[in-house]
Amino acid sequence: MREAVIGGIGHTAFGRMPDRTALDLEAEAARRAIDDAGLKPGDIDGLLTAPGAAQGIIEGITPHFFALGQALGMNPDYTGSEILGGAASIGIVQRAVMAIEAGLCSTCLCVFGDSALSTPGSYSYGRGEEAAFGLFGAAGLHALAAQRHMHRWGTKAEHFAEVAIAARAHAARAPHAQRPKPLSMEQYLESGFIAEPIRRADCCLVSDGAAAVLVVSKDHAADLRHGPTRILGHGQAHSLTTFSSEEHFDTLPAARSGRATFQRAGITVDDIDLALFYDCFTIVVLLQLEDYGFCPKGEAGAFVEGGRIGPGGDLPVNTSGGLLAEGYGGGMLHIIEAVRQLRGEAGERQVADAEVALVSGHGLGMNTHTTMILGR
Amino acid sequence: MSDTNEHPFPLPVPGRYTQPFWDACQRGVLEVPACLDCGRMFLPGGPVCPACWSSKLDLRPVSGNGEVFTFTVYRHSYHPALKTPYVVALIELTEGPRLISNIVGCAPEDVEIGMAVRVQFEREGDFTLPRFVPINHEHEELRNG
Repeated sequence: MREAVIGGIGHTAFGRMPDRTALDLEAEAARRAIDDAGLKPGDIDGLLTAPGAAQGIIEGITPHFFALGQALGMNPDYTGSEILGGAASIGIVQRAVMAIEAGLCSTCLCVFGDSALSTPGSYSYGRGEEAAFGLFGAAGLHALAAQRHMHRWGTKAEHFAEVAIAARAHAARAPHAQRPKPLSMEQYLESGFIAEPIRRADCCLVSDGAAAVLVVSKDHAADLRHGPTRILGHGQAHSLTTFSSEEHFDTLPAARSGRATFQRAGITVDDIDLALFYDCFTIVVLLQLEDYGFCPKGEAGAFVEGGRIGPGGDLPVNTSGGLLAEGYGGGMLHIIEAVRQLRGEAGERQVADAEVALVSGHGLGMNTHTTMILGR
Repeated sequence: MSDTNEHPFPLPVPGRYTQPFWDACQRGVLEVPACLDCGRMFLPGGPVCPACWSSKLDLRPVSGNGEVFTFTVYRHSYHPALKTPYVVALIELTEGPRLISNIVGCAPEDVEIGMAVRVQFEREGDFTLPRFVPINHEHEELRNG
């Protein structure tokens, strides 16, 4: 079977760019990714997209991949858009891997993009009929999980703070980060509540920006400008029963996705040198530390104490700052950071001897989950 | 909770499978879909039983008693008609199904996971919303009243 590898990465700046459209940002990210790979537009025969919340999957009758493919002048052999929320960036890279392995295409461009910061109300919508009870936005949903964690396991505000502080400390070493300013424990605790126990400092950034990853057949690896990054395993798991699910709010589908992916990759959690966890809210990082098996259930609060997931910690997490501080890259920036670390191109924030990285995606409230393990 | 003309309350737009639940609320009864084949009671309503996929379904009245599975206190206002702070809770009904609702009739600080609650129907525009009150608190009010 053909092996698919990551051959190119690229992204725009992340922040507020009101004069740019999502499509324009996506085109820039795409150009940067193929430049990074040393390829030309004509070499691309696959296009997969993960449009951000503000632009949506379809505009009128035009699906997102159609709009971007038209803008990029493409007639690909394989295309589509994924609707998995924050799990979609890994979702489309997985689809690209499967399409290449199956021989449907050989060089597949995977793009996330959005102009959410310049589009008011991108994430503050009411959630279905439950909006009648005031269930708006994503913070309230995740607060339901954070409250359970505090109640069941004695997790404290200071534990959530450790996640936010580590993200900022990592971002200070990433030149492109949207929020590189350090965060102190005092500043965290003074940060106002959005939906208790979630404070403003627990919430990820909203951004304008785009990021792209190029998945190529390993047959072409010799033509790449940089060495290939290997995909050791990937997987998904979802919880679509939501409120009526027994485990929802206590365990993420990450537990199932992680187990299956480790098994496929033939490695264990002990082999992971750094983790790039989807981090829309700090609680999601704590839950994933448990669900992926870095620590027993209920012990993530104690696990993150003392800067353990920060720069130079035992388990560096989100070494470019993640959604909390680098920018909202829909999970695609997490994949890009893993590639940079594995290539040894992460500069000041380089994790020494990084050989294996875990990357995750989480979306649509707390319902979808995707996992990828990357290696040198 | 309040309503103004400029900012109408975010009332639900019931779908085909949730309309019967809201109609029952309108009559002051909490009713949930139940499967006539396997007996599962569930929320929200749908075309088939989510446990056995049978389409033989009926609505069953429930006690209206339950407990707080988890909750959050909204401090940030997402909608002008929703006055903060307010409590959004996931209620586990005694009969099993869970639903998102509000805890009213006590201070947000007094809400706890595991707290026993009972449904209290409240009018909001043309709708009757099933909100929940702490059971002990209600008893206290009766004693004091």
